[in-house]
Amino acid sequence: MKAMYLKKAELGKLISSVQDSGALFVGPVVDAGNVVYKEIGSASELTGDYIIPVTTYKQWVFPQTEVVATFAVTKEGVDLDGVDLDPPDVVVFGARACEAASLASLRSVFTWGEDDEFYTRREDRITVITVGCTAIDDECFCTTVELSPASTTGSDIYLRETTDDEYMAVAVTKKGEAFIKAHHGVFHQKRAAEPELVELKLPEPIKGIKKEKISAWLARTDNYQSELWPRLTRKCFGCGACTFSCPTCHCFDITDEGTAFGGERRKNWDACQFDHFTAHASGHNPRDTQFKRWRNRFMCKFKYYPDKFKTTGCVGCGRCIRVCPVRLDITEVMEEISQISE
Amino acid sequence: MEKALREKARELLTTGEANVIIGYEWNRRKTRATPAFITKADEVDRLIFNPLCVNNLSIYLTRKNKDILRMGKPAIVAKGCDIKNIVVLISEGQVKREDVVIIGMSCNGVVYKQGLWKGELRPEIMPVKCHNCDVRNPHLTDFVIGDHIDFTPPETPRGMVFDKIAALDAKTPGERWSFWLEEFSRCIKCYACRQACSLCYCERCITEKNVPQWIETSAHQRGNIAWNLVRAMHLAGRCTFCGECERSCPANIKLNLVNQKLVLTVKDAFDFKSGYDEKIHPPMIVFSPDDTENFIK
Repeated sequence: MKAMYLKKAELGKLISSVQDSGALFVGPVVDAGNVVYKEIGSASELTGDYIIPVTTYKQWVFPQTEVVATFAVTKEGVDLDGVDLDPPDVVVFGARACEAASLASLRSVFTWGEDDEFYTRREDRITVITVGCTAIDDECFCTTVELSPASTTGSDIYLRETTDDEYMAVAVTKKGEAFIKAHHGVFHQKRAAEPELVELKLPEPIKGIKKEKISAWLARTDNYQSELWPRLTRKCFGCGACTFSCPTCHCFDITDEGTAFGGERRKNWDACQFDHFTAHASGHNPRDTQFKRWRNRFMCKFKYYPDKFKTTGCVGCGRCIRVCPVRLDITEVMEEISQISE
Repeated sequence: MEKALREKARELLTTGEANVIIGYEWNRRKTRATPAFITKADEVDRLIFNPLCVNNLSIYLTRKNKDILRMGKPAIVAKGCDIKNIVVLISEGQVKREDVVIIGMSCNGVVYKQGLWKGELRPEIMPVKCHNCDVRNPHLTDFVIGDHIDFTPPETPRGMVFDKIAALDAKTPGERWSFWLEEFSRCIKCYACRQACSLCYCERCITEKNVPQWIETSAHQRGNIAWNLVRAMHLAGRCTFCGECERSCPANIKLNLVNQKLVLTVKDAFDFKSGYDEKIHPPMIVFSPDDTENFIK
């Protein structure tokens, strides 16, 4: 499929067209001073002035809280009912290339062994429209983890801004192609001259970081007890801001809510940074101090994920650095490990 | 000021009066201040102090951070506002005065959030607490670093937080309820507010008690309201308005409004403000046989 074009001024038309098809349109909006992804009604709600939204769009494939079953307690016993999951089509507009790469990582977890249909059914129905970055900040490090604003992994449609206030749209997947066809009235082919594209902004790869050195260091089991972990990470005070804003973090907890007569079973986001995350019923907690929990998060991204799924655990979006109340910067740990690794 | 701080830190570590200095250092790019734990005298030059030193480091004195307690006797670099929390920790039996060395920092104010810093501390990037600060010369210390600061806070505290509280007070209960529903709807239950708070020192928070589940952990309307209201109530009469919960909140929930309202209410009802005298217990945790209320007798 040839590149198509979309006028920025006609985003409203695209939104209406998507909504007419019965899908939700999700995009970056300003909410309480933060740019976040939200379901929107019209183009005027969208903002183009952002590096990357503070929140992720994983909430549309893996909601922060969702009912997975309901139960009723009767005289005869407990009636358990499943949930008929028929998620809506969702179009995410304005995603960034780093975050788009995360859906494959999430999918590998949620299809590991059994398919978790609460995830897969939603992911099957999401269309990701990425806009190439024309601005970056100090926290962006996609190029350090072998991605870039030009990566199309995980995007269904990849957009580049042109100097004449249009987007050049390239369908990356079949889903993306189908989307452009379905909304063909909004996209058009360029006439005459090739358009000039706004240059992508790429963060400078952090020189001191070598991914293969990190892998090699983490592979040595004695490094699990390295003094580096407490030294660099003891300032972490154990909130879940990093995990909840991370596009690849996927842990959840199952909880029952209701009364003595019935209620619902819910699947809620959980964070390996919480002190009771690995608390055993016996009272023992194998990750009994914060640096062990932080170490787990790092190992998960840079060892467990790549080992088990051959996918990336960290996409370099930098959200965990931006939201961290103690400014624990994952790239500083990556850099130090790269340096001490032989 | 940093020179004096480093010298004091070096002295404390060398003499063994402290085993670890809990202070601030630069991040790698030197763009943000971040907590530091210095245990060796030859590393004291990492210590910094400037308006980016926003964190209230007193959290590291609480039993939530056991690995830090194990490092030995701490000396903590603390602004007046941070010392208020240490005062409450002492009055509530969480920290013994003699177990911590307090290096009080004279302070002309910090930034509300580090991202606002453009190389200069302008009034508009300072939090409301700094404009009304009565502890710029720290009040409970072993040592004071920095010159005496001449600053008289306004008679009646003022600033955006107080204006917003007045505006909320003027609304009907229904309107206030809608306002808070909207605010708390953004909560993602990351508990950064709790973890940033040195007065939220419970090792097992009520949200983690699930047999039965007292507070629903789901980030839905019920769960979010329950969580935020419970935390507010648990901080009533104790919160010193250090603002760490609001600063840490990734969803920008206006927690300072909740907390300052509580401070004002407790001041009104008990003529008490927490964080000034470690020998006085906050009103919500004391019982007096002379209490005029008889429900508890």
